[in-house]
Amino acid sequence: MTWIQQVCWRLEMDYLGHPYYVSGNAIYHALKQVLPADQRTRIHASHGMFAPGQFGAFPEWHSLSGSRPALGATLPEVTTYDDLWLHRHPEQPWVLDSRPRDAVNTHDIRTQSGQPAFAHEMVFGRSAESRKTTWTTSWFVHAYLHADDPDVLPIEEEALDGLQFGGQRNYGYGTTRLKATQMVDLDALGYGRLRGADAYRLELVTPFVLRSDYPGTNDVDIPWWWTVETTHLRQREEEIVEGPETYHCGTVDHGQVVRYGGDRPVVTAKNAIRRVGAHSKYGFGEIRVCPIESE
Amino acid sequence: MSGDMLAVYRHDAHKFVRQSHAQASETYAGVRVNERVPFGADGDAAALSRPVGEPDTTVETHTNHRRLSLCTGTTQNLDGVNVDDAMHGLVTERDAERAHEQWLASDVAGWFNESVYYPYTSLKYHTLLVAALVRAYEEGSTFADLRLVVDPPESVVPHRTVFAGDEFALRITPESPKRPRIRLGDTPSRSWAGAWSRLPEHPLGTDDDAWAMVLDANLRRIQSWSTALQYVEDFERWSA
Repeated sequence: MTWIQQVCWRLEMDYLGHPYYVSGNAIYHALKQVLPADQRTRIHASHGMFAPGQFGAFPEWHSLSGSRPALGATLPEVTTYDDLWLHRHPEQPWVLDSRPRDAVNTHDIRTQSGQPAFAHEMVFGRSAESRKTTWTTSWFVHAYLHADDPDVLPIEEEALDGLQFGGQRNYGYGTTRLKATQMVDLDALGYGRLRGADAYRLELVTPFVLRSDYPGTNDVDIPWWWTVETTHLRQREEEIVEGPETYHCGTVDHGQVVRYGGDRPVVTAKNAIRRVGAHSKYGFGEIRVCPIESE
Repeated sequence: MSGDMLAVYRHDAHKFVRQSHAQASETYAGVRVNERVPFGADGDAAALSRPVGEPDTTVETHTNHRRLSLCTGTTQNLDGVNVDDAMHGLVTERDAERAHEQWLASDVAGWFNESVYYPYTSLKYHTLLVAALVRAYEEGSTFADLRLVVDPPESVVPHRTVFAGDEFALRITPESPKRPRIRLGDTPSRSWAGAWSRLPEHPLGTDDDAWAMVLDANLRRIQSWSTALQYVEDFERWSA
């Protein structure tokens, strides 16, 4: 059995941190404050993806169907590999079209000390004439943990509750409350959709680190199982912050898609959930394998 | 051809004056307006920015053509603004290239939405998207031939440039210039986030500028093309 622990936090205060996601590094270091030493060193944390706590409908690739209240604030049961990705794309494809989906799914921005902060909740439909029909939506952060030692998981709910992410934490910014957590056995999932396709594509859910200033990290090339030239891929600088030190990383930016050049898509898929490349412990190198449906 | 392009820049004049399409006047200040756009380009552009099928009200408290901003959550205050004057220039210009330039530079066109059901969409960018599609279709290209291309800010290609900001311009074209570019896909859909996320280069300073990263982060979350293009424009001013 290969366990991961999914975690969903609710933002209780505005957030002044990494705008693409709560970095795995931030989640790891927040957990380090509350976990005993033997537990904390063995934990790996994914990046935390932002999702609005909105009504939603499961995408056609999910094993569940229909709509559900506050889908962005829940952890639905995971039975297939595809189910893992429900909340992990910035587009959040489950947000309904019957509401203003792009407004619901973009962060409201507030200026704090000259820096952009994300609002922890948003109000819609406010007008002078009809205040009754407004509604408020909160933001949630979805991440998952895994461990070198299977006995370390699950992390208890008390330890996951009340973590803070991002800057200005002394002022309460980035405070979260635990909304839900559940264990998922990767070996027990259905990988059927990944078998028998003619071709596959790889979606870079988080950046892949090519080089890092962090001591002891080697430069790497893109994996052999990506069918693409490095020069065709967008790159972006990232940072690993550890205490007073900031280490710069060169990454292949997330959101891009490459063709799969390997021949074991299920094995690749299982490995890439727990991420590949440098700093995978802190959320980098998360990749989704998708079959390319034939016409 | 020039007539087709002028018809594009005049096809939604009724939205400025709160007329429904069915009741829209045929002329405005002596020019023909609210005419059907050729090649189905109006419908294709609509599919880039709105759900297909029968529209639903998405914001019950807002049912007019004033656009709601993703930056502020409200409409532009029109007090003291002469909408008629601004509309007159956009709609009655007789030179098609100058009409395109006027729409690209217009603030007022962006204060209206393309559909009362989807108040965060932008009439300005819907019209520019229609123009780029008509331009491509009249030359014999299909939607599947089209690419989004990132240009320098001063590079405006008549009828093809759909956004011109301080830092960069965006164009939709069947050509393959040596610029960052990405295919739009086989059929028109609300594919903005997918296209933007897959561009081989981004024209934003996301390595060290927190505001650029925030803009980029939100652009990866937006599906509607006209909403996204308007958001870039609003954000540039709002964060300046």
